[in-house]
Amino acid sequence: MGMWSMTASLRRSAKLGPLDKLWLLLVLAHRNLFSHRVKTVIVGAILVFGTMLVVMGTALIDSIERAMERSITASVAGHLQVYSSKGKDDLSLFGSGFMGADDIGRIDDFTKVQEALSTVPNIAAVVPMGIDMASVTAPGDLERSLEALRLAVRQEDAQRQAQLRVQVRELLSQMKQERQNSMSVTSDTKELEADIEIIDRGRSEALWQDFDSAPLTVLEYLDTKVAPLAEEGRMMYFRYLGTDLDLFVDHFDRFEIVKGDKIPPHTRGFMFNERYYERMVKHKVARRLDWFERELHEKRRTIAEYPGLDGRVRRLSRQYRRITYQLDEAESIELTKKLQAYLPGVEGELPKLLSSFLTLTDANFDERYAWFYEHIAPMLDMYAVNVGDVMTLRAYTRSGFLKALNIKLYGVFRYKGLEKSDLASGHSLVDMLTFRELYGLMTDAKKAELAEIKAEVGLQDVGADDAEAAFFGGDDDVVAEADNSDFDEFEGVSFGKGAGQADVSATFTQGEVNRGLALNAAVVLKDRTQLKASQAAVQKALDDAGLSMKVVDWQKAAGLVGQFILVIRGVLYVAILIIFVVAVVIINNSMVMATMERVTEIGTMRAIGAGRRLVLVMFMLETMVLGGLAGLLGAGFGVGIISFLSKNGLPAPSNELIFLFGGPRLFPTISTSNVVMGLVAIVLVSLISTLYPAFIATRIQPIMAMRAED
Amino acid sequence: MPPIVELHAVHKEYPLGSQVVRALRGVDLTIQKGEFTTVAGPSGSGKTTLLNLVGCIDTATRGRVTVAGASTSELKDRQLTELRLKTLGFIFQSFNLIGVLNLFQNVEFPLLLQGGLTKGEREKRVRDIVAKVDLTDQMSQRPNELSGGQRQRVAIARALVTRPSIVLADEPTANLDSETGEAIIDLMKHLNASEQTTFIFSTHDPAVMAHAGRIVRLVDGHVVDDGQPAKVG
Repeated sequence: MGMWSMTASLRRSAKLGPLDKLWLLLVLAHRNLFSHRVKTVIVGAILVFGTMLVVMGTALIDSIERAMERSITASVAGHLQVYSSKGKDDLSLFGSGFMGADDIGRIDDFTKVQEALSTVPNIAAVVPMGIDMASVTAPGDLERSLEALRLAVRQEDAQRQAQLRVQVRELLSQMKQERQNSMSVTSDTKELEADIEIIDRGRSEALWQDFDSAPLTVLEYLDTKVAPLAEEGRMMYFRYLGTDLDLFVDHFDRFEIVKGDKIPPHTRGFMFNERYYERMVKHKVARRLDWFERELHEKRRTIAEYPGLDGRVRRLSRQYRRITYQLDEAESIELTKKLQAYLPGVEGELPKLLSSFLTLTDANFDERYAWFYEHIAPMLDMYAVNVGDVMTLRAYTRSGFLKALNIKLYGVFRYKGLEKSDLASGHSLVDMLTFRELYGLMTDAKKAELAEIKAEVGLQDVGADDAEAAFFGGDDDVVAEADNSDFDEFEGVSFGKGAGQADVSATFTQGEVNRGLALNAAVVLKDRTQLKASQAAVQKALDDAGLSMKVVDWQKAAGLVGQFILVIRGVLYVAILIIFVVAVVIINNSMVMATMERVTEIGTMRAIGAGRRLVLVMFMLETMVLGGLAGLLGAGFGVGIISFLSKNGLPAPSNELIFLFGGPRLFPTISTSNVVMGLVAIVLVSLISTLYPAFIATRIQPIMAMRAED
Repeated sequence: MPPIVELHAVHKEYPLGSQVVRALRGVDLTIQKGEFTTVAGPSGSGKTTLLNLVGCIDTATRGRVTVAGASTSELKDRQLTELRLKTLGFIFQSFNLIGVLNLFQNVEFPLLLQGGLTKGEREKRVRDIVAKVDLTDQMSQRPNELSGGQRQRVAIARALVTRPSIVLADEPTANLDSETGEAIIDLMKHLNASEQTTFIFSTHDPAVMAHAGRIVRLVDGHVVDDGQPAKVG
């Protein structure tokens, strides 16, 4: 009897007509809903579900949007991004889906942007950036061993030399074996025979006898003759973000060091993204094991059942050489003993034992995974490049030359909570000056050097843009200042000592960071709620400064990723629309049926003096009461589920969603607007679906009261 | 004093499938305030049609129907509703109570439609009229918990609670046993005497006709007889 008590206060407060009439209509609505229970339950359930969907759906999407905003703004985008309006492509910080870099134009002098924005309020920082692709080559096995041997010779470490000599000869045996295998499948064996001759000489006692007296001669033969025949090293491509690292670290609070240190202030250096480092730079066997670990535990697949996994196991079991070639004699003996104890049934040498060890099954995986990291990994060089190493970065400059730079790897970083997201792991980090060089700009020192050379050979400084004018004559006014004059047409050409050899310890000043090229700049705001106003203010400041720049918010800057939320929102709204259309049809039908059943009753009401409006209101009120109650119930469920999720978190079901969820779990929150939206939507649906039956009801003539009831 | 109901050369025709039924064929009838009139006749003679016209829930095809001084064919839907609400009371053959409301609420319903009374006044009016039909103990029961006779008494209370000038009853005893039917007629007659309410009801039950002050007999849409029950026999 809820309706009675609910309306009791209404009754007491009302002395006269309208409210009493309303009360009566509420009673009628309440009683009618009860007397048509099945209809009420069906329609109510749809409305409850609809409200729940609206409340939960909008709350989830709002939460995802906020989480995504945190992911994007705190990892790379900042709140606003500023870039030249001259580029052909839109800025897409997480990649546009194509290899290679988009053409977003460039900011020739970042200082100008900095100055223009210095007066805009609500800006915490303006961080220069540039995203591009580069590669680093991991040396091949032989190359690596020879390098180590050379070091041992230099350090006069006799024991190490002995170990490495065994290792090198073992590798050469493997190389010979491979050539011999190839001989059996090819008719043209001449080349292979020549190779084998060279390799055999490299293995020969005759050569190694000389090692103690003239190690460098031996090494030179191996380096120049044998090494070129060996398997080449691995090229690893990656995207990198060049930026003012000090500013970056201060203002992108998802940034977190995993290994090593951050690059010291004003120093050239490189940092790998953890996910890339683990998945690409790590030792191949370890990488494969990690991959199995994810397949088995994260994706819950089994080697026995999931297609393809058994093939991967077979291939892994043949990768034992990746381990053996890195071991010296003592380590080999130690590991052999350990493996013999661990695998009591297996006879044979280390390769056999390792191969057997790497033959994984669902049952032995966990144990062997742990065993590998406990006993084998410490003996291995786990990464192709280690923190503290100097590596050679190669990148194609804008003008198409290959540029190589040596740079120190200072550390490995990740974005907190987004470790498992591919999207957030899409780039590594480098200092701004190195970026400029890889991009194709010269340092001040190089410019001076180049000027000297040019002076010597009498070259004229001709930019690409005004080359035509310079060579063929033309309007002198056009030749004023060429855009490309800062670019190094001689990149890739050797200048004095060490072409492309940047001094790895080189430091620079803040002025050098600011003064020069950037592709885009991130604007970090103090108060993110002022996003729109600040965006306008930034645009105005840039326009006023005469800079032709675009200003986009983080969502747009994120490219396709940023648009993803719009897609989800669209899908939700379509789903809601479908539910509501279904609800409208069902409610409409059942109300029309109810109207038909109540023709006599309505006729009677009309006969004893009820007007059409009363009949209309009666019908509307009935669905509104149902809609209101169902809405409250549905909103209640929605709020309940969301608050449950806000405590326990909603796990991200896929890699892409980790990024959108701002971490492995989304902790959604609900706002009043979500609930209000749900209730308003449901009341509207109720009203719309009752319009037609209510209209029919008002057309019922009082004479229908005379129709005998059966 | 002008008659409260006046019919002049009233015809009513309505389509039934491909044919046209001529329910009333030139009826002239005058009823004075306070009369207790029975409209009698066999099935299909036009009794119900006549009551519908007087009750303003149907309109004549031709002729003129005047109720409480208003020519019904000249009134709009809203005015007709007003007339039904303020001047007329209905008692139906099938009682036509609102199933989801209890006795009290059913009787109170027309008062709420009328408005203008306080809750206390309404309650007093309802209690008085319910007492007259002797259903005070059943005040909070729903129609389906009442007997046929009780339901018709509720319907009478509902028809009278607004103190209408005219009460129309279409075969009010047809769905009741003869004893209950007579009790209902007695009650109506009593109220007719005490409240000076004009009653017009239709019946084809001779036992009921015997109670009437005046009997209008219809056959095939014509008034064939109009007079005292004794004379009609």
